[in-house]
Amino acid sequence: MKPVVHIVDDDDSYRTATARLLSAYGLKVEAYESGDQFLARLPGCEPGCVLLDLQMPGQSGLQIQRQLCELAPLLPIVFLTGEGDIKSGVDAMKAGAQDFLEKPSSLTVLMETIERALAQYERRHAEHERLQELRTLVGSLSAREAEVFRLIIRGQLNKQIAYALSISERTVKVHRHQVMEKLGARSLAEAVSIAAEIGLDRRRGSAPE
Amino acid sequence: MSWGCRCAAIFPRPVLMTVVLATVWGSFADAADASDTSVPITDRVPRVLILYPYDERIAATTAAGEALRSRLLEATDGKIDLFSEFLDLSRFPEAVHVARMGRYLAEKYAARRPDVIVALGKESANFVTTYRITIAPDAKIVAAGFGNSTAENIDLPDDVIGAFTTFDILKTAELARRLQPNARHLYIIGGSSEFDRGWLTAARADLEEFSKSYETTYLEDLTIGEFIERASHVPSDSIILALTVFKDRAGRNFIPREAIRQIAAAASAPVYGPYQTYIDYGVVGGNTVTFDILGRTVGNLVIDVIAGRPVSDIQAPQTNIVDARQLWRWGLAEGNLPPGTVLMHKERSLWEEHWLAVTVALGVVLMQAGIIAALLLERRRRQDAESRSRLHLLEAVHLNQSATAGALSSSIAHELNQPLSAIRNNAEAASELLRSGNPDLDLIQQILLDIQADDQRAGDIICRMRGLLKKRSEIDWQEFDLNDVTSSAIHIIHGEAERRGITLNTNRPTTELPVRADKVHVQQVVLNLATNAMDAMTDSESARILTFATGLEKEKAELRVADTGNGIPQERLCSIFEPFYTTKQAGTGLGLSIARAIVETYGGTISADNRPEGGAIFRVALPLARREESGR
Repeated sequence: MKPVVHIVDDDDSYRTATARLLSAYGLKVEAYESGDQFLARLPGCEPGCVLLDLQMPGQSGLQIQRQLCELAPLLPIVFLTGEGDIKSGVDAMKAGAQDFLEKPSSLTVLMETIERALAQYERRHAEHERLQELRTLVGSLSAREAEVFRLIIRGQLNKQIAYALSISERTVKVHRHQVMEKLGARSLAEAVSIAAEIGLDRRRGSAPE
Repeated sequence: MSWGCRCAAIFPRPVLMTVVLATVWGSFADAADASDTSVPITDRVPRVLILYPYDERIAATTAAGEALRSRLLEATDGKIDLFSEFLDLSRFPEAVHVARMGRYLAEKYAARRPDVIVALGKESANFVTTYRITIAPDAKIVAAGFGNSTAENIDLPDDVIGAFTTFDILKTAELARRLQPNARHLYIIGGSSEFDRGWLTAARADLEEFSKSYETTYLEDLTIGEFIERASHVPSDSIILALTVFKDRAGRNFIPREAIRQIAAAASAPVYGPYQTYIDYGVVGGNTVTFDILGRTVGNLVIDVIAGRPVSDIQAPQTNIVDARQLWRWGLAEGNLPPGTVLMHKERSLWEEHWLAVTVALGVVLMQAGIIAALLLERRRRQDAESRSRLHLLEAVHLNQSATAGALSSSIAHELNQPLSAIRNNAEAASELLRSGNPDLDLIQQILLDIQADDQRAGDIICRMRGLLKKRSEIDWQEFDLNDVTSSAIHIIHGEAERRGITLNTNRPTTELPVRADKVHVQQVVLNLATNAMDAMTDSESARILTFATGLEKEKAELRVADTGNGIPQERLCSIFEPFYTTKQAGTGLGLSIARAIVETYGGTISADNRPEGGAIFRVALPLARREESGR
């Protein structure tokens, strides 16, 4: 599946021209004349990256970015700006913007920026997939195994776990083996790392999707 | 004296001019005998008959007669009957005419016999002595206008009282000496007639002593040409005394003053003569009896006769008479003139005559001139100040334009970026498309059209920007639609409004609003009001809306600019258009005052108010340009 570059800009001619240019370079492009229009069509959107105009009537680029963080956290955002507005640039980067593109920009800069953003999307996507797998693995643990796993990553000894769960130490060992087996962890360190990645850490239950 | 000369010319007998005072005294002694019969006239108004020897056109007798008449009228307070008779004896010298004249007058005055007859001139004296018995047997006769030697020659009866005039060449010579103390030569000019020769003989006697101090030459027995020639070659330190020239050696007759005029005109030294009539004919002057003095002298004599006072022959007093123009011509000093000299033709300077009036008038004129000059200066300064103030306004507007351009520059740059970026991307896209094996030519065509459109867009933006920075050295009057200027101003600020999150609203113009002004200035007014409104909404929490509305209001083109800011505090409504009044941190306080200055320059008004629903509203009203003017 090819990633799509979403262009959100109120200026017709710029939007059209940019879309034509990216298409000519073989990219898939979707164009939207306002942030609201993009948000409305977001659910059906193909993933890729967003070229978001900072200054638009109605919702500004920064307002749209805030909502996109919630709705599509994996989508890298490249801001388009006509002028080096430092304050909005800083705000945007703080809020997690991928990059900045000043209008007008050279073809090279434009293409590099978009490639970087798409690579970023690929990375985020792969990471997201991996975490998703890990969560599935963690989800596949039985209730008892999950309890044992939570205590293991807190660094508790088998004896302590047995005492906490009021089961025999031998049983703990069996569960522990099962957990390591299911998660594919070869050491305690790996198991802790997995827990950290899915955000399990010290909280109870699985990390939210 | 003119008629002295003329009568001499008509009566060929020479007249011996007597000079000496002793003679005068002698005459007085004679007169004393003749006057003892005078009786005053008391029962009625006295009658006086004046006999003129010639016709009324002869200036000399007429002048003397007039002086006499006015003296008599003055002395009697008008209670006198004056009669004049012109005997016309020069044109009709025949005895028949004289006799007829005698008869005529005798009959004419039969009912009103004159009490006194004044005979002017020798001819009149002759006539009256002959016909007095028939005309007025009891009348006293007063004869005037000739010398007493003439009186002896014509056998004037003893009871005729004479007012004699004597022409004294020595006194004339002495006058000349006073005027020319350094003169070394003396020339005396006389003609070849009997009279002229008589005069020369008398002059030789009179000047015997006087001429010893000079190298003296008598110019006589010459033709008029020779007179002129000789006179024009005399040394400059000469005195020329002119007697009379009735006839020259060639026998040519002259009126003496005409001959003298020719001689004096050519003379190389001042010419003097003993006759008043020579004045005006080029002589400097001389000692003589003036008509006026003669007239007054005779007048006094007649009054005495009427009053019955004892009278006797008298000499009319002589005076020195000088032509000021000749003094000037010869460079003779006025200060050397003997006291009592009558200076003729002296243009008494205005200053001498009316120095006080002149001073006052001059003062007034100077003051007026001063005031006029001051007023002119003031007017000039006011014009300068007006043009300077207009120039200042133009300068201020330009600074204001620059400031607006500066403030809007980032949004304008942003606006300009859009088409430029689009052009760039379109061009890149087209070139990439062309590189591919099977280019979509329709798409490329569309791309090129879009590039053109974007280029146009960028050009428009730059054009507006240039209009915003256009400097005026004077007002560029033109007629335009207020709606157009408003919408172009909105174009300029819309980027800035977008940047600030302000919504722009405009009403759809319903009617044309033609006004006459400088487009750029009116646009600046709209921009200032818009900028002001946008600034007013900076801290506003509610929706930021800037509304423009144009329309006809009370026969004027009106523009309203409304905002949704916090409005203007009531107490500041009146001072909001004052220069340097500002509520903004970064404001210069000039925007609104310049807007007002511009609007008032074009005869419009500007006002500010608060809207009941919140926010401020500014109204600009400009006079409508007249249709017929635009038609021209």
